[in-house]
Amino acid sequence: MRFNPIPRLIPPPRPARPGRDGPSATAGLDAWSGLMVAAQAGHGGAYQRLLAEISDWLHRYFQRRLPHGEVDDAVQETLLAVHRRRHTYDDRYPLGAWLAAIAKRKWIDQLRSLGRRPTEELSDDLAIGDHESAVTSASVLASLLDELRPAQAQAIMLVKLQGYSIEEASRQTGLSVSAVKMNIHRGLGRLTAFIEKTHDVE
Amino acid sequence: MMSNDALILDLATNLAPVRRRSMARETLLLAALGATELALVLGLGAMRHDMGMMIGSAYMLWRMGSLAILAGISCTVAIRSFAPTASPRRGVMLVFLLAVLAMVGGAFVGTAADSGRALLDRISPANGLLCAVSIVVLAVPVMAMLGILMRRAAPAHPEGSALASGLAAGTVGALVFAFCCPMNDPLYIVVWYGTGCAAVTAIARWLLPRRYRL
Repeated sequence: MRFNPIPRLIPPPRPARPGRDGPSATAGLDAWSGLMVAAQAGHGGAYQRLLAEISDWLHRYFQRRLPHGEVDDAVQETLLAVHRRRHTYDDRYPLGAWLAAIAKRKWIDQLRSLGRRPTEELSDDLAIGDHESAVTSASVLASLLDELRPAQAQAIMLVKLQGYSIEEASRQTGLSVSAVKMNIHRGLGRLTAFIEKTHDVE
Repeated sequence: MMSNDALILDLATNLAPVRRRSMARETLLLAALGATELALVLGLGAMRHDMGMMIGSAYMLWRMGSLAILAGISCTVAIRSFAPTASPRRGVMLVFLLAVLAMVGGAFVGTAADSGRALLDRISPANGLLCAVSIVVLAVPVMAMLGILMRRAAPAHPEGSALASGLAAGTVGALVFAFCCPMNDPLYIVVWYGTGCAAVTAIARWLLPRRYRL
């Protein structure tokens, strides 16, 4: 039976992934180096496993450094760089440092590409409806109603703003119909006077 | 865009064995190129006629020795910097430091006759420009070879590697040219060899990173 060194280079599955904080986690180092040596010799299975594990690490690496939409692109670019430059890996050194150097270079390339990419301003037509005037109006109205007596403010709120009839407002407030009419009339009068005195009310 | 799994499967399926990069092989290749270039130049009869007599002098030992040391170290620095985990920063600083020391050393090998001449006469700009251009031309093969090696490797600091490559190419070009140059004034050597090496370094620094993509 021929001796095949390749399986010996492929370590058994590790209990943990190669560390959350990068390839420096000790569990992954020897395993990755062995897989890369096997890959350099042309062992596709080892290479597939190595790239899958590297891909997971690269995802975490780029997620912390790039906008969400750029992560997959950066991971694939790095995997291709690893593939093209796999002959430069020296097995006397851990694969983690080699991979981290390539990933860092790809990160820099990706940042430069982001900087060169033209940015487009969002058009007002594309944006959702502007609620600014409504919000401002509500705020101003609330401050104006604070200037009135509570019964006047409530009558104006019910009839003029919420659309109730005088009779419905009368039932809700417990006042007579004429009292509601009076409160509305006097309240609007005070509001008008107040607005005329205050020039900066929008 | 292809999914990661599909990409990995594709890469693994079409995997071919690769020959591992060897710094020793690249160094030998570079040394062979330099030696071939020197042999060609000498074979064309360009060596200075009094080389046999001058080779033992302090001036010639300084000139050839310092250039040989600078060329050897800068080539090593350049080749080492092509590995993704290596930074060329310290190596480039070492080469600069040695270059300055070599220039300072020139002050101790000059003759009294040299120091008595006018500065412009000592520098001799017309001859000097020719020397600088010759160094640039002689550096081209080594720069091209280093550019190819850089493209095949994976330097993580391509700008630094390009700088180291420029220094290496410039010093090799200067070393080859030193066999032919008839000038004997250390000041002339410092000014014009320095100019030639600086020009090669600037060209390499500008050109090589553009031809490189990880």
